[in-house]
Amino acid sequence: MADETFTDFTQPLKVLVVEDSNIDRRILESMLQEKEEYSALLKVADSLAKTLQLFDEFEFDVVILDLNLPDSQGEETLFKLTAKNPKIAVVVNTGAYEDRVGLKTLSMGAQDFLVKGKYTAYLLNKVLHYAVERKRFELKLKDAYEKLKETQSQLIHAEKMKVIGALASGVAHEVKNPLATILYGITYLSEVLDPKDEKLQTVLRNIKDASGRADRIITDLLDFARLRQLKKEKQNINDAIEKTLGLIKHELDRKHIQMEKRLSKDLAAVEIDANKIEQVLVNLMLNAINAMERDGRLTVTSAAVELSEDLHEIPDLHRRHFKPNDRVVRVTVEDTGGGIPAGELDKIFEPFFTTRRAEGGLGLGLSVSRNIMEIHEGSISIENKKEGGAQAVLHFKI
Amino acid sequence: MEEKKKILIIDDEKGFTSMLQLNLESIGEYEVRVENRAEKALEIALQFQPDIILLDVIMPNVEGPDVANIIHTNEGLKDIPIIFLTATVTKDEVDAQNGKIGGHTFVAKPSSLSDLTTSIKRNLLPAF
Repeated sequence: MADETFTDFTQPLKVLVVEDSNIDRRILESMLQEKEEYSALLKVADSLAKTLQLFDEFEFDVVILDLNLPDSQGEETLFKLTAKNPKIAVVVNTGAYEDRVGLKTLSMGAQDFLVKGKYTAYLLNKVLHYAVERKRFELKLKDAYEKLKETQSQLIHAEKMKVIGALASGVAHEVKNPLATILYGITYLSEVLDPKDEKLQTVLRNIKDASGRADRIITDLLDFARLRQLKKEKQNINDAIEKTLGLIKHELDRKHIQMEKRLSKDLAAVEIDANKIEQVLVNLMLNAINAMERDGRLTVTSAAVELSEDLHEIPDLHRRHFKPNDRVVRVTVEDTGGGIPAGELDKIFEPFFTTRRAEGGLGLGLSVSRNIMEIHEGSISIENKKEGGAQAVLHFKI
Repeated sequence: MEEKKKILIIDDEKGFTSMLQLNLESIGEYEVRVENRAEKALEIALQFQPDIILLDVIMPNVEGPDVANIIHTNEGLKDIPIIFLTATVTKDEVDAQNGKIGGHTFVAKPSSLSDLTTSIKRNLLPAF
């Protein structure tokens, strides 16, 4: 544990001096070479380009940075450097007349600043060590904060689902009893009423359709409230996609939507409950179709991909299921509709959020889909595409 | 003519039981008795001697599983098959487990009349 908390300040550092003035550079070099324990590696650069190049070749603990270089000036230099190497400690080396600049760099990501001519080798060494230490804590803190945020969003989600789940299943149960009464009433009337009386038959059919719809809504609610145990089997995700496309073909035809399939032929099998995943795909595809006018295009893609180092493509809620650079199966559903209004992007997964209330939308489709992906230990996200339209992305562990 | 099978329905939802009774009786094969008070179940069962019992789960005063227990610990009634007819399960759940959950027979509410009669026929004791 000791090395986790305390830094060994006697360890020499790996230092990069970025300075275009020959004199200042030599002063720094000689200070850093004054004692063996001051630096384990010492490189110099006289431009930003050279600096960025050295980052590719060596690993440094700290950079001593002159902000004004031939190819970059002022704050810009600091921004470009930290963008390239966000984990490195930076000590800005300013001229004596620039001490306000030095202070300002502290709020822009530098760990410390030195005023030229105002420090000794001993002081420089101390400053560098403290800068490295501060950077290390900053990164740890950031990391802990990210994890905290992630856990918090999972907890909030879980709690919300619990409350809504309890409410939904209570309501569903109460509604199913009267619904059963209505359905058996209809069954009886269908038997005894004159089949030739068209008016009566129309009334009966309407009641039947309406109660059928109510029953489906209740079933959706219950599905949402308690996702039952999954029946997972190893299979190719393309089979579920093909089956879903068969289910929604009618809707595609009705709205004259073109369909483009880009399914990878060599996908590793994923462990899924096919019924549940088909439910997710139906939700995504119907949303896509509903978002489009006549003659739009629905594109469904499957591919084996490698996740990024920082897992930015996986939403917080699902991130714990994945590791950096994991091999996964990715499925995307893209449309050519108007995209999702910016103000709605963070609400679309909320239960009961719908833009189609008038058409009978309950607002559970995406919420249920997210739950299904979560219990599959996968991920779901939806974003607007640069070229217009929206794109839903699913990730499955292999 | 074959003798009608006797069905006892125990469920507190009066509208539901009367609809169900109408439907089952109109099939012509069943004699149906309804009891809306679960606490009367044993008394009515002893009197009516049903061939099968349709039993709700969530009822005031006495719950379905307790009623089933009372009936099945009675020497004269212990062999009567019981079908739980309840909104606490969904049709998918019942179908997924072939009509049995935890060793008991279930039919979901709502279910079609034909689903219910299929279960009734399957669970009726074979005639001696």
